[in-house]
This record gives sequence, structure tokens and C-alpha cells, in this order.
Amino acid sequence: MNSIEPFNRLVRLAARAFYDDVSMKGDNQPKTSRGDNRGMAVVVLDALTRRQWVREEDLAKALKLHSKQLRRILRFFEEEKLVTRDHRKESAKNAKAHNAAAAAANDGQPVAKEGEEKVKMHTHSYCCLDYAQICDVVRYRIHRMKKKLKDELDSRNTIQHYICPSCNKRYSAFDALQLVSYTDEYFHCETCNGELVAESDKLASEEMGDGDDNVRKRRREKLKDMQQRIEEQLKPLVAQLDRVKNLPAPEFGSLQTWERANIGAFAIGDPAAADSSRNSQGQYGTPMPFIGETKVEVVIDGVKEEGAESGKNGSELKVLPPWMIKDGMNLTKEQRGEKIEPQKLEISEAKDDKKQDSKDDQSVQEEYIKAYYEALRKKQEEEEAKRRMQQEGKISVPDSQTERQVGKKYKRDDDDEGIEWEEHQPTGNATETYKLADLNAEAQESGDEEDDNEWEEG
Amino acid sequence: MFFHIVLERNMQLHPRHFGPHLRDKLVSKLIKDVEGTCSGRHGFVVAITGVEDIGKGLIREGTGYVTFPVKYQCVVFRPFKGEILEAVVTMVNKMGFFAEAGPVQIFVSNHLIPDDMEFQSGDVPNYTTSDGSVKIQKESEVRLKIIGTRVDATEIFCIGTIKDDFLGVISDPGAAV
Repeated sequence: MNSIEPFNRLVRLAARAFYDDVSMKGDNQPKTSRGDNRGMAVVVLDALTRRQWVREEDLAKALKLHSKQLRRILRFFEEEKLVTRDHRKESAKNAKAHNAAAAAANDGQPVAKEGEEKVKMHTHSYCCLDYAQICDVVRYRIHRMKKKLKDELDSRNTIQHYICPSCNKRYSAFDALQLVSYTDEYFHCETCNGELVAESDKLASEEMGDGDDNVRKRRREKLKDMQQRIEEQLKPLVAQLDRVKNLPAPEFGSLQTWERANIGAFAIGDPAAADSSRNSQGQYGTPMPFIGETKVEVVIDGVKEEGAESGKNGSELKVLPPWMIKDGMNLTKEQRGEKIEPQKLEISEAKDDKKQDSKDDQSVQEEYIKAYYEALRKKQEEEEAKRRMQQEGKISVPDSQTERQVGKKYKRDDDDEGIEWEEHQPTGNATETYKLADLNAEAQESGDEEDDNEWEEG
Repeated sequence: MFFHIVLERNMQLHPRHFGPHLRDKLVSKLIKDVEGTCSGRHGFVVAITGVEDIGKGLIREGTGYVTFPVKYQCVVFRPFKGEILEAVVTMVNKMGFFAEAGPVQIFVSNHLIPDDMEFQSGDVPNYTTSDGSVKIQKESEVRLKIIGTRVDATEIFCIGTIKDDFLGVISDPGAAV
């Protein structure tokens, strides 16, 4: 979960910077008696950084907050665009489904509430941080803060705005002609005839009363000071924003897709599968189809996989993609993907080749295959299909099952390279799980057209 | 900014004007109708400089009025954002001052007046520098820059600033006397 950590840090910083003193007062009752609940917002955001989609009641319980209170805070954050929420009517069964998904997502930390079997159809609300949006929101907020100050400092907010303190009606300087009063020297509201106040004065004039001679000068100083303090105090936040800028934001998708992704993985009962599926779609999966291409898939259970694969590292010659090959590298022809065409065309021949190459480590490989076949089968098949397409070019005949078997052997350490041929994967995990055959067929076709060029360059 | 452009207008002429001076009548009516008006698209029509073409008249049934499509050349004045204008101050108050450049009204709000000028209320409200050397009051002439225009169908209103180099009073009536 390395990649999510900078984002969480960003959220925590932003929470402390901006939502520190947000107090969630009830509409009518002043809650002085209960002590103020400022800082609650920060706590909630922090809690959310440790979760993905979470049922609001569960969150409330975990935080020992009243669910109404929590909901108010969450609604606030929803308006602030930090949090996405989802509401749905569901029975206990569905709720359990979510719990299962949550458990899968948290790698076995159960959030489960089994006591809720009796629930009929209830509307449950779920919430989740929207990291991509948070980045934008925070950046925009900082931008606006700075811009406002700067404008005020240079008087660049060219068009002055006026506001009526009594009825809150806003005017701009363009309305000036209608607002002048011939009895005194102020502007007056058209509706209630109250005196208008220049709007940008509000920022600085709060403490010093307006209208006096030196006000403008003092205001400038105050603004400058404020600008400096903003720079200073937001420095960590800005730094974090920069750091995060080039990282793909973790994306959990909508509640349904998230649940499906996690549950799907869970159902297979293979943690590796769970994680990899989440990798591919949940966390890094962005709507952009090509982002997936360059992603480095290591993070979650990288240790495990890498360890196993390094065992047969030497035996298998990987075909490096052209962009990975550099001058200094000591590569065999095969690694460069320059295998001779005819070899490829003959299935049996290719098979033999492979066997010779890897004879020594045959046993290791067998082990490996058994252990990882389940988890990686889909990916392998797909990659293999593509690879064959690339290597054989247009000549290739539709792949038969046997060909696939061959491919399986030599293509599996692709993961090591950090390349995933994923563009053609469907977004929903469910489809992936159930329609293996179809998927392959698709992948083959599309792989044929697109990847051809790439490989010919190298 | 001034433009010399050709515009077209349908003129309605009362039947009593039909006769040898129909054309003159039409032109004088055109001038009366059009000069001084403001259209959001072209700005203020300052003057008509010539009539290019008068089309065939069309008699309106029932009324007897005749409609002539008239093409005419005219000078229009259209203020633009960023344009520098010279204007006469018409009113000064705490919120800023109003000025006129020909037909255009311009408002300069107090934060677009240089910081060293302070508002002085009194008999003649004005903005004055601390050393009293520069004073903006009614009838002062100022050079200002337009920073915003509001263009309605029949009205143009501008917002100006004098907070920039070479802007401000170009002659004030107090000093001239």
C-alpha cells in the first residue's frame, strides 16, 4: 500500500490545515454545554484514510461518535468534495456482502458486524475518500486563497463587489450607477436601501473598523503578512501535493465496483488473486485505459512473488520490450525478442526450444506452475495470447489450446518486468472471473492490431 | 475606440412625407433616430456621415406607412477593456468617482484610485494626495484605463482605474483658475 500512503498524508495534512476548526454545530442548539467538537472533522478524515469504502454506522461505532453527528460531518465533507458517499437500500445479506468485501480489502481485519442479521431493508450509507478529487480540491483551495490575497494586494480584483449587510444582496461595480445615492456618499441597496459594503474589504477590515484614512495602508501590510503566513504554514501541504502530483491517485471506484472487486477476489480464496485484482482495477485503475500499461505491479505481495520467481530467473529468458533495452545491457537474442520467426510458427518446435532452455530448472518450474497457476492463469493466458500475436505477426493462426500451454511456460515471469498487458482487461472483476474464454478471444484480437507496430520498432 | 462602419436600418416613413423631398426627409429622420443611440454590438452611434443606399420602399397594408431599408455610414464609439480614455469627472463620493467620456459613463471605485489619494468629504468631495498637489473633484479631467465593460442591448457602462502609470488627473479645475 505504499502508493496510497502519500495520499493519506496529504489528506491528513489538509485536514489539519483546513478543517481544524470546523465545528459541526447543530442547526439550532448551541452546543456549548457539550464542549465544542472542533477537530472532529480531522478525526473523521484520519479514520477514513485507514479505510476504503466503509459503512457509516460502522465508522461511527469505531469512532464512538453518534451516527447523526458523523453523518453531519460526512455531509459537510461531501459538499467539500473530499468524500464520496453512496446510499442504498439493502438487507442484512447485502450488508454482509459488504463486510466480506471490507474484510478482503483490509486483508483480514474484520469490520464485520454479524449481529445485524435481523435487519430488514434499511438504507445504508457508505463513504469513501475520493483521492483524485481531494488533490484537485486542495490545490484549488490553495490557489483560491493565494489568488484572493494577491488580487486584493494588487487591487487586481478589478471589478469591485459590494454586498448589502442586511439583505446580503450582492452588487458589482457595474451596478454603481443605479446604486449611488444623492443624499450621502455611500452606495445603497436597491431593495432595502441599506448601505453597501465593498466586499473585499471584509477580509482585512474586520478588526480595524473601516473607513479611516490609514486603513488602506494598514490593510496592505496586513495582507502581506497574511500572504507570508499562508506560504509558510501551507508549505508542507504544498510539498505533499507536489509529491503526489505524478502519482496515480488510488481509486476505489464506486461502491458496487469496489465491492465486486474485493468480493470476487475473496471468493476465489486466493489472497494473491485478491490483491492482484485489486491492484489492477481498484487502486491504480484509472478510467484512462492506457495508464495501466506502464504500471509497476509490485506493491502488495511483491515480496512473495518476486522471491518465488527469482528462483527460476536465470532459466527463463524474458523478452524485454524495446523500451527497456539499453545499450549497456547484456542480452541474448531471445531477450531482445528477436527470435527467429519459423521457430515460433511451429508449435512443437517452440515447445522443444523452451524445454532445452529450461531443462535444469525444470523441477523448480513445475513447482512454480502448480503454486501460481491458479492465481496467474488469467493474466498469463492473456499475455501469452498477446505475445504470440506480437511475435508471430499476422501470420499466426488462431491460437489453439496447446499453443497456450506452451506460452504459459515462458511468459510467466513477465511480472518481474513490471509490465502488464492490461489494456484490454475489462474493468469489472466479475467479468474477468467468469468469462475466461471470451476474454482471451478478445484480447487476442485486439492485441494483434495494436501491439504489432510497437514490437517492430525494437 | 471609434469606428467608421456601414449599418442598415429599416425606416418607416409616414405617407404625408411622400413627395419631392421624400429622400431628404428620410435622411433627416434617420439622423434623428439613430444618432446618440447605443447598441450593445456596435457601441454609441456618434454621427452619420452618409447614406449609401436606400432600397425599394414597401407599403405596409392598412397603415400606409412605407418601409425603406437604408444603408448608412456612421461613426460609432465602442469602449473596450484595456483602452485608455480621457474623461470628465461628474461625481465624487466615498466609493469612488464617476466620469464621462462622451456618452460613456465610467466608474472608478476607490480601490482603483492610487493608495496615496484619500477621500475628503465636504462641500466639494474630492480625492487628494497627502501633499495636496493632486486633486480629483467634479469637473476634473482624468485619464483612465477601462478594466471592465458591461454591455447591454442599449447601454454600455465601464469600470476604470487610475491606479497605473501615467493615469490620473490631466488638468484639474482648481489649479487652472
